[in-house]
Amino acid sequence: MMLGLRTSCTLSVSMKRDHQESCGGSGYSGSSGSVGNGECSSMSTGKAKMWDDEQDAGGMDELLAVLGYKVRSSDMADVAQKLEQLDMFMGTAREDGISHLASDTVHYNPSDLSGWVQSMLSELNYSPTNLDPSGLLGNQQIDGPVLAPAESSTIPSIDFSNSSQQIENQSGVYHDDSEYDLRAIPGVAAYPPNETTSDEENSPKRLKTSFGSNSVPFFASNSSPSALGELATIVAEPTRPVVLVDSQETGVRLVHTLLACAEAVQQDNLKIADTLVKHVGLLALSQAGAMRKVATYFAQALISRIYRCPQDGFDSSYSDILQMHFYESCPYLKFAHFTANQAILEAFATANRVHVIDFGLKQGMQWPALMQALALRPGGPPAFRLTGIGPPQPNNTDALQQVGWKLAQLAETIGVEFEFRGFVCNSLADLEPSMLEIRPEEVESVAVNSVFELHRLLARPGAIEKVLNSIKAIRPKIVTIVEQEANHNGPVFFDRFTEALHYYSNLFDSLEGSSPGLTPPSQDLMMSEMYLGRQICNVVACEGPDRVERHEMLNQWKSRMGSAGFDPVHLGSNAFKQASMLLALFAGGDGYRVEENNGCLMLGWHTRPLIATSAWQMAAVES
Amino acid sequence: MQRSIPENQEKKPKFLINEHVDILIEILKRLDGPSLGVAACVCRLWCTITSNDDSLWEHLCFRHVSNPSPPSLRPIVIALGGYKRLYMVSVRPVLSRLGDSGLVRKRVWTRQEMQLSLSLFCIDYYERLGGNGSERLGGDASASSLMFLCNPVNV
Repeated sequence: MMLGLRTSCTLSVSMKRDHQESCGGSGYSGSSGSVGNGECSSMSTGKAKMWDDEQDAGGMDELLAVLGYKVRSSDMADVAQKLEQLDMFMGTAREDGISHLASDTVHYNPSDLSGWVQSMLSELNYSPTNLDPSGLLGNQQIDGPVLAPAESSTIPSIDFSNSSQQIENQSGVYHDDSEYDLRAIPGVAAYPPNETTSDEENSPKRLKTSFGSNSVPFFASNSSPSALGELATIVAEPTRPVVLVDSQETGVRLVHTLLACAEAVQQDNLKIADTLVKHVGLLALSQAGAMRKVATYFAQALISRIYRCPQDGFDSSYSDILQMHFYESCPYLKFAHFTANQAILEAFATANRVHVIDFGLKQGMQWPALMQALALRPGGPPAFRLTGIGPPQPNNTDALQQVGWKLAQLAETIGVEFEFRGFVCNSLADLEPSMLEIRPEEVESVAVNSVFELHRLLARPGAIEKVLNSIKAIRPKIVTIVEQEANHNGPVFFDRFTEALHYYSNLFDSLEGSSPGLTPPSQDLMMSEMYLGRQICNVVACEGPDRVERHEMLNQWKSRMGSAGFDPVHLGSNAFKQASMLLALFAGGDGYRVEENNGCLMLGWHTRPLIATSAWQMAAVES
Repeated sequence: MQRSIPENQEKKPKFLINEHVDILIEILKRLDGPSLGVAACVCRLWCTITSNDDSLWEHLCFRHVSNPSPPSLRPIVIALGGYKRLYMVSVRPVLSRLGDSGLVRKRVWTRQEMQLSLSLFCIDYYERLGGNGSERLGGDASASSLMFLCNPVNV
């Protein structure tokens, strides 16, 4: 039988671990097996002479025989697999859980490696379920979904035999024993030679479920095939899956565990989800940098969801502070401001009095640049009126007025006539156009600006339509919208979760990229991560009207605006050039990309667009 | 031992640059940023000139701009902190960053780069404005918005 080279590799690796010496020489493919590869160096020179294809009497593998182990060559793959499983289990089990192995187990024939491993594994298999160890350890065909909820089995890797009966037994018994529950984690990260399993970007493969008629609740039903598509990459084809124990694997395992946990939450299996999420925490510690932070935030959000923790109240002043740090540390908000300002500037090219309505004033960081550009306009600055809208403040401070005051100071400095009005409201849908005191069109040109505000309206039915109608009633010259480019508003939780995982991983990567090797990380960076962490928590843990981070893709916004009666306005090359220059100023700027998409500008990290700016005007009406 | 000095040499006045400040300024106008900084360290007079005479820095900022700057620009820049500050805070980092990234060729820069620098300068001024009794973020008065310009470029 043909043994995969990888099998031999891991065999030799694990042997090396156990025995401090390598097990075999360079690979040779005999009629019944090949052993080792260049990894085992110390023995290889000595054993190179043993390359011949002869077998011992009885078909024992020759190289292992030198070490004193009698393993049939035909059993090599099998033994390798068992050793891996044993190793993984011992690595993850509690300490007292395996101490009995040292004292209580009796081995009769230590040179019979195959038997020894089998007995070790069966020793560990003392659960009340009728697991058939040989059934598990024997010829395995891992072609089922990865989520094995089996707690009582002690095999750390995913063992899927064709015995659905067995799985059902496994699912029935639930020990509240987190270590053993590790089997639920897709522990086998197969690296078949022709596949790469980096992360969920891989093209999903369909899983073959071979469980017959038994529908086990934990496994993926066909309703979410795409969800497990990514997991399928770790499922081996009929050849044996092999665990390559290396650090990259924990990263893959981390992602898979997160997805498994989300799937469990989706299926309402909260106990399983709870176990999985704790393991995510452990796995996350093995990672470094962005992946660790993202995993931690997602794990916390999942915990909130599982235990239905009420979210901390919307403290707007705190989130403003966090957003300021986000503004400083990465170009997303600056990009949003600069591109929107450029569109507004071009729309106001000939106006004498301009009025900007800002749906989310926050600290007003967008407006100094616009005012300065207006001040330098060839014909002199127009009169600039700003209406800022914001949420109610917790301690009754008038944050809007303070921002307005600062902007007024700036305006006076640069010689622009300035007027400010602040509006406090819980939701944009509460605004009536009449409140805004819009002056007639001949007198002032109006711009409506919304940076990361519109998606919140999707949490309540009817709100977005009301706001769009209000905007139309205002009759603005231009409407600028900046939104996250992500689909976090799908109906299925698991899909939202995977989307969010991908999106925020990219965001955190870009944050990491902009401050390379800075130890300790700057305060800006940490606060920015907290800012994003709150969004993650909202996307994952909240539902209903509380879930306000309902991001949608640009195309969805385009169709929504189009059907509401707006025509797109193309952002010009000026905006594109300015945005490109802005990005070039940032450290790590080569990771950021500006893309033009039918007149809209998108900023992304490497190949993934992350935010999109678009501009709109009232649709031309034939009278 | 006294040398005999030819008479014509005695009558020739020595030329001390420090007595001709206008010529000095003309010369300093043609220096680049780092050289201006060095010049400021030469003596008190030069230091005074380089710090007080904003037009030196104005020349520096706009020397390579293809279009002449609008007349309305000067009062605005001065109100926002002056050309020296504009150069130090905004123009110099922008130029060096963009030069590194190849977007600017031969230190001739376009209107857009100027616009960008001015916008960043204005944002810097705005951030330094204290609000009326509002807490400064993190309690530090220096503008943090342009700190990203000071970080080393990721090579």
